[in-house]
Amino acid sequence: MRRSLHRRLGAWAADRFGWRPVREHVLERRVAKSPWYFGDGATMLALLGVLVVTGLGMMLTYSPHPDAAYSSIRYITERQPMGWFVRGLHYWSAGLLMFMTVWHVLRQILIAGYKFPREGTWLVGTAMLVVIVTMAFTGYLLRWDERAIHAVRVALHILGGVPWIGEALVVLVQGDEQPGARLLTRLFAIHVALLPLLLGALVAWHIYLVILHGVTSHGERKKLTHTAEQQKQRYKADAHDEEKGETFYPDTMAQSGAMAGIVLAIAVVLVVVRGPAALMPEANLTETSFPAEEWWWWWFSALVALLPPAVAPTFLVLFPLVVLIGMCLLPLVDRGPERGYRKRPLALGFVVLTVVLLVGLSGLRLRSPWTGWPVGEPPALPPDVMLAPEAETGRLLFARHGCTSCHSVAGAGGRTVAVDLAEMEAPRSRQYLDDYIRRPPPGVAMPAYEGWATEEEIQRLVDYVLVAQMFRTHR
Amino acid sequence: MERRDFLATAVITGGTVATAAVLGPVAWTALSPAWSDRRRGVWADVGTLEEFEIGKVTHAVVEVPRDDWAASLRRRGVFVWRQSEGNVTVFARSCTDLGCPVTWDPGNGWFFCPCHGGIFDRDGEPQRGPPKRPLHRYAHRVEAGRLMIDLDSIPPQAG
Repeated sequence: MRRSLHRRLGAWAADRFGWRPVREHVLERRVAKSPWYFGDGATMLALLGVLVVTGLGMMLTYSPHPDAAYSSIRYITERQPMGWFVRGLHYWSAGLLMFMTVWHVLRQILIAGYKFPREGTWLVGTAMLVVIVTMAFTGYLLRWDERAIHAVRVALHILGGVPWIGEALVVLVQGDEQPGARLLTRLFAIHVALLPLLLGALVAWHIYLVILHGVTSHGERKKLTHTAEQQKQRYKADAHDEEKGETFYPDTMAQSGAMAGIVLAIAVVLVVVRGPAALMPEANLTETSFPAEEWWWWWFSALVALLPPAVAPTFLVLFPLVVLIGMCLLPLVDRGPERGYRKRPLALGFVVLTVVLLVGLSGLRLRSPWTGWPVGEPPALPPDVMLAPEAETGRLLFARHGCTSCHSVAGAGGRTVAVDLAEMEAPRSRQYLDDYIRRPPPGVAMPAYEGWATEEEIQRLVDYVLVAQMFRTHR
Repeated sequence: MERRDFLATAVITGGTVATAAVLGPVAWTALSPAWSDRRRGVWADVGTLEEFEIGKVTHAVVEVPRDDWAASLRRRGVFVWRQSEGNVTVFARSCTDLGCPVTWDPGNGWFFCPCHGGIFDRDGEPQRGPPKRPLHRYAHRVEAGRLMIDLDSIPPQAG
């Protein structure tokens, strides 16, 4: 009797609250079996959920005015109970989401996830990519530390390079001629309201399309279909097959959920081990600063540094457009029946090249061998070396005259913009060094020291370099 | 069918008009900074000319003379190079590539950008790295011995 009441109540609720169709068409639907790594989409959904909740948690304290933003972030991190954890989880979930986004896009390219009948799923996903990338950028601007202010200015400079309307775009984003309260308010509104609403709608649409059209299954990759209708039938047959298909809940969800759970666990471990992103000094336009972008932009920063100056300004404006247009055109251009990567060497090559470039450029950015910067410290001497007094004076002058801003000596100093003096092509004569330091040859990016340093100082510098060029590099 | 066509047209037209009536003003006000009055010429005081040693480049901080609610980041760094008695150049801190804050290296007398390796000589001419254009120079004038610069004389993103 009680049991039947329970059942009747359940049936009543399923009808009146409209759960029954959801159960039938979503949870109990048959899908083609997929390997565990197809859980990357579910993982991204889970990360987005974490981002929404942790973001809301911080919004209860965060103050979007430049005079208070930085202090409120410090308060959340240092004084609010569990604030450091919530901020840390937001930060690492965002980073992992960027990683998973690249993973997801590259995987879809690899298995031709954009092919019929899933062109719409891919195009909605492309729009989501734009929103996620913009969110990952605007998010760390809200910290309003030196990294934030200089990052937004870099973005404004890229916008400023757009032909004809560049300056209007800058003022539009800034909300003003000068960077100030209106800029931060706009970034805040974009990050916490405008884009989340848009992203929510796009996520719902994307998932709806995944339910409607399924995801690229193993069967489709083995047996080719030539029309969307054939493909839909093939997918349906696979999904309802005892061997090749499974029920979404709980079979698929258990697998996808496992991947999502592991990634979330990684996020939590990162928060506990590394904490939230370190704060630089508060945003300002006066202090000497050596800002760096978040790690998910390292590859881009390296690319910007290495591009030939002649193409760089055009590249900065065109690159996002080319990626976007390319992604939109992809399902319209590549319409062949092949879906795996084995018979699509172009797709495989593209994905491998992209991964190599992303990793390689990020590694380069970590070393940043192109950056000169005042060091201040004279280069350390190799362990077994004593210098004559003249050369020792030269060593101190080597730092005082800013030679250390670009040159290392036998690996000591840290800057690698110019040649390491212990690794020159050949030992140089006193006369050669003297001439070079006074008036570097045209085209060499080194200041002429004649007139800048005294005669005495130039001689001491030469004394030092004469000896230093014979040092052995200890690595 | 005539009634049906009429109603369909009414629904589509009415919906479009209602949407435009709301979206239009919102878009207009959101986009308005792009075409609002610009280049007003905001003159800021850098200090007395005597503060700047002849032959040296000095980092100076100016107060942005605005006190409305959008007045955060009120202070801004500039580089003052006083070549001679009457000859002064005021450089903006922004690298002309992507706007990172350059620093003056007093040792070698060149400017270094921390981001992508831009290096400028003391005339502000690019020597290395991505930048192609020389450092931005503020329009300046000397009034009663005080050095004044026009904050709007450089692009809005470079201040």
